[in-house]
Amino acid sequence: MGTATIKKELIKILGEKKVLTDDLDLMYYSYDSSFLTRLEPSNPDAVVIPASTEDVQKTVRFAYENNINIIPRGAGTGETGGCIAVNGGIVLDLSAWDEIVEIDAENMQVIVRPGVIHANLNEQLAKFNLFFPPDPGSSKMCTIGGMVANNASGLRAVKYWSTEPYVLGLEVVMPNGDIIITGGMKARTIKNVSGLNLTKLMVGSEGTLGIITQIRLRCFPVPKARGIAMAVFDNLDDAPATVLDVYQNGVLPSGIEILDSSAIKAVNEFKPEINLPEAEAILLFEVDGNPPSVEYEGEIIRNVAVKRARSFEWSTDKKRMAELWEGRSITATAAARVRPDGSRIFAGEDISVPLSKVADTLRAIRNLGEKYGIRVVNYGHIGDGNVHTAPVINPENPDEVEKVLQLVHEIHLLAIEVGGTTTGEHGVGAVRRCYAEAEHGKAVEYMRKIKEACDPKGIMNPGKVF
Amino acid sequence: MKFKDLPPVKEQLMKCVRCGKCRSVCPVFAEIKNETAAPRGHVFIVQALRDGKVAPNDKVWEKLNMCLLCEACSINCPSGIDVHELNAAARSYIYENNPSIGRELIFDVLWTNQFLLKTTARVMWGFQKSGLQALARNLGLTKMLPGDLSQAEKIMSNIPYASARSTLREVNPAKGDKKYTVGYFLGCGTDLFFPNVAKAAVDVLTHNGCEVIIPADTKCCGLPHIANGKMDTARQLAVHNIKIFDSYDLDFIVTDCASCSATLSPKNMEFLLSGLKIEDQAMAFAHKVIDLNKLLVDILNIDLQGEEPARKVKVTYHDPCHLANAQGIKEQPRELLRRVPGVEYIEMRDSNRCCGGSGTYSVTHYGISMKILDKKIDRAMETGAEKIATCCPSCMMQLRYGINRHNWDCQVVHPVELVNQVYKDNIALYTGN
Ligand SMILES: Cc1cc2nc3c(=O)[nH]c(=O)nc-3n(C[C@H](O)[C@H](O)[C@H](O)COP(=O)(O)OP(=O)(O)OC[C@H]3O[C@@H](n4cnc5c(N)ncnc54)[C@H](O)[C@@H]3O)c2cc1C
Ligand code: SF4
Ligand code: SF4
Repeated sequence: MGTATIKKELIKILGEKKVLTDDLDLMYYSYDSSFLTRLEPSNPDAVVIPASTEDVQKTVRFAYENNINIIPRGAGTGETGGCIAVNGGIVLDLSAWDEIVEIDAENMQVIVRPGVIHANLNEQLAKFNLFFPPDPGSSKMCTIGGMVANNASGLRAVKYWSTEPYVLGLEVVMPNGDIIITGGMKARTIKNVSGLNLTKLMVGSEGTLGIITQIRLRCFPVPKARGIAMAVFDNLDDAPATVLDVYQNGVLPSGIEILDSSAIKAVNEFKPEINLPEAEAILLFEVDGNPPSVEYEGEIIRNVAVKRARSFEWSTDKKRMAELWEGRSITATAAARVRPDGSRIFAGEDISVPLSKVADTLRAIRNLGEKYGIRVVNYGHIGDGNVHTAPVINPENPDEVEKVLQLVHEIHLLAIEVGGTTTGEHGVGAVRRCYAEAEHGKAVEYMRKIKEACDPKGIMNPGKVF
Repeated sequence: MKFKDLPPVKEQLMKCVRCGKCRSVCPVFAEIKNETAAPRGHVFIVQALRDGKVAPNDKVWEKLNMCLLCEACSINCPSGIDVHELNAAARSYIYENNPSIGRELIFDVLWTNQFLLKTTARVMWGFQKSGLQALARNLGLTKMLPGDLSQAEKIMSNIPYASARSTLREVNPAKGDKKYTVGYFLGCGTDLFFPNVAKAAVDVLTHNGCEVIIPADTKCCGLPHIANGKMDTARQLAVHNIKIFDSYDLDFIVTDCASCSATLSPKNMEFLLSGLKIEDQAMAFAHKVIDLNKLLVDILNIDLQGEEPARKVKVTYHDPCHLANAQGIKEQPRELLRRVPGVEYIEMRDSNRCCGGSGTYSVTHYGISMKILDKKIDRAMETGAEKIATCCPSCMMQLRYGINRHNWDCQVVHPVELVNQVYKDNIALYTGN
C-alpha cells in the first residue's frame, strides 16, 4: 500500500484529528534521544495519536491487514531509536493518552494509560502517601508506557529495583488487533501465579510484541526519612570494595552513585563553586526509611567507609543533603557543557558490569577515551554496576563521529567481555541489536520464536532488539 | 548577518541531545501534546532549515509560531540552548525569504510609529465605547490586526482615552535630594493601555529621589518585531532608541515592562546587534537598563512605612516570562509587594508558568492561549487573591481578560501601583484630605 493511501485510509478510520500525515509533521517523529537518530533521523509514513484502546485496535487491525509496520512511541526519550520507524510504518504516539484511570489506595495500586508522565504520576500518588519507586533521570518527561516497555529503572534501583516488579497487569493490543489482559486487570492481588507470566514477557519487550494500552502498577508507601553520605577516595578500587563492605554489613541503601575522576573534573570545570574534592572517586549513598533506621544505617556506612575513604560526611539536613548530592545531580549537565564547541552524546551510555569489575571497567573506558582522543565523563549507579559514559564530541565533525562510534563499540564489547551487559536500563532498540547473539547465544533463537508467535507478520516495531 | 552565522544557530544547534527535558516545561506543548509543538521539535526543525532539509516556507513558519517565546525551555535546557533565540532567528530567516509572510502593516508601520499606534488605539477606543465594531470592520481596520478583531478587542479592552505620554512631562524632577538621573523607557503597552502604571512609576521614582526623564521620541522596544521575524526592523528600532537615550547623561534606564527590559537586556542586544558597528554602544546602553522592581528594591531599597490598615488585601503575583525566565528577576517584585503595608502576600502554584498572552499570541492563537490562560486563572483563584500583581502589560491584559472570562472579582495591578498608593494615602493623611 502506498504512503498516500495509508494516510487516506487512516484518516477514514480515525478521523483527521488523530492522524498526522503532512511530511513536515512526520519529521518531528524522526528522532528520539539516541545518537543514532541525531545522525540518521527516519520519518514514519504516518503518525496516529490514539485516545482509546479502540483507536489502537483499529489502527493495528488496519496495519495487520495491509502488512504495515507499527511502532509504539511514548515521549521519545529512549536512547536507542526504539520508537523510530527505521523501516517506515505508522508511529503510534501514546504520550497524549495520559489518564490516571484509578488510584486504588486501599490496595496500594494504580491503573494508568500509557502516556502518563512518571513525575506526574508520583505527584498524584503523593496525595495518598504512595509512590511508584523506579526513578529514571527522565522522570519529568518519560511515559509509564515507555518505562514498562523498556523496563526502566533509576538511581534507587539498588533497593527498589526496576519497573518490572511493580507491573501487576497489562492491557495489550497484540499485532493482529487482539486485546489481551495479562495478570488480570480486575484481579487486584499482589501475588498471582496463575498461567504463564505474560506480564513479565511484555515488560522490557520494547514494543516488539504488542502495544501496551493500560497498566496496573503496585505502589509503595513514601519513606519518612532520608540521609545522604559522601565518601571521597584516592584509590578507585576502594570505591567498589566499600560498596561491597556496606552490603556485607547488612545495609541496602536506596541508591549508591559513583563519580570517577573524569566526572569530578567535568563538574568542577562547569561549576567551580561546587568545588568537588579532587579524587579518584566519590561515592554518594542515599538511605531512606524511618528516622531511627536511617540514622542507624548512616552510622554503619560511616564505620565501613572511613576504613578506606579520605573523607566522609553524613547528613539528614535537607539543605546539606542537596549540597552533597549536587555533584551527582549536575554531572549530566556538566558533561553536556564541558566542551563549548561540543556536545555529549547518548551512545554506549548504559553498560552494566559485575560490581567486582566496576573499577577495571572505568579505567578501561578512560583508556579507550585516550586511545580515540575523545573526552569521556563516567558516572553511574555503582550499587548495581550500571556505568553511564558520556562521550563529548563535536557531532558535526565526521571524523569525531567515526571515532566515537568505534569507541562506543569497544565499550559495548568490553561490557560483554567482563560478564556484563551492553545495557543496564535504557534498552536495546536499534542501536544495540547487533550484540544480541554475543550476549544471549542460543537464547536469541527462543526470543525470535516468541516474537513470531505473537507477531507472525513481523509488523510490530521491526528492526529492534533481536 | 546570515542565518547560519547567527551565534545560537552557529554554536548551539549541534548541542541538542534531544533529551526532551524541554517537553516537560513548555506551556504550549502541555496543551498540544504532540512532538510538533515540543521545544525539542523546534530545535530539530531549525536545524533542518539550516541544513536545507526543509524550505523556509509558511508551513514551517506556522510551526515555529506556535511558540510563545516564553523561554521556559531555554532556562531548563541541560545543554544551555537558547531555544527561543533559535526560534526567533528562524522566523527572521523565513520572513526574509517570504516577505509576504507576517503582518507587514501592523508591525512595520503601526508599531514603529507612535502616532499611528496611538491613533489606532484611539480609534479602537472610540469603537469600543460606541459599540461600532461593525463599522471598524467595514473600514478595513480588521485587516490591520492579526486574527479576529472581536477577540483582539476583548483582550485589549478598556483602552484608556489618554496615553501616558500625553499626560507625563519629559523631565520630572526628584523630590527632595536627588540621588539618580533615570531615563524612563516608556513601552507601547504601558503607554497606551496602562498609563496609570507609568504615572505610578514616575511618582514612586521621583518620590525616592530620582529625576525621571522620558525622552520624547523613543520607539517600540522591538519585541513584537523579533517575534514576527522582523529582526531588521527590530535592529533599526534598537539603534534608534540607543541613540536617543545616549543623548542624556543617565545613571539608569528603567522600565516597568518586563518585555521591554528583556528586549533591551545585554543578552538580547547581543543576539540582535553582535558583530555590528553599534555593538559596544548597545552593550553600554543595555547594561544601564534595569527593571523597575529591581531598581526600587536592590538599588533604592525603598522604605514603605505606613499604617497597617485594619483589613489586609490578599495579593498574589504572576511572574512574567520576560522577567522570571529571561532575566531571573523573581524575588524583587515579591519583596516589593511584601513591603506594602496592608498587603497579605499569597504565592500561587506555578507562578512562573506563562499566562499565554505573549503580545499578540492571544489573538493569533486564541484557542491555545485560552487553555493556558484558564490554567493560570485556576491557580490564581486557588489563592483567594483580590489582586493579581504582575509587571508586563501583555500579561496584565491577558490576566484581566481571564478574570472576566471566569467572572471573578479580582483586579490586575502592577506592584508599583500598590507602592504608589501608600505614598498617596500618606499624603492624603498629611494634608488632612
Ligand atoms: C536525560 C535522560 C535520562 C534518562 N535516564 C534514564 C534512567 O535513569 N533510567 C532509565 O531506565 N532510562 C533512562 N532514560 C531513557 C528513557 O527515558 C527511558 O527508557 C524511558 O522509559 C523511555 O520512555 P519514553 O516514554 O520516552 O519511551 P520512548 O522512547 O518513546 O519508547 C521507548 C521504547 O518503548 C516502546 N514503547 C513506548 N510506549 C509503549 C507502549 N505503550 N507499548 C509498547 N511499547 C511502547 C517504544 O516502541 C520504544 O521501543 C533516560 C533518557 C534521557 C533522555
Ligand atoms: S532540553 Fe535542550 S538538549 Fe534537551 S531536547 Fe530540549 S533543547 Fe534539546
Ligand atoms: S519558548 Fe516557551 S512556548 Fe516556546 S518552545 Fe520554549 S517553552 Fe515552549
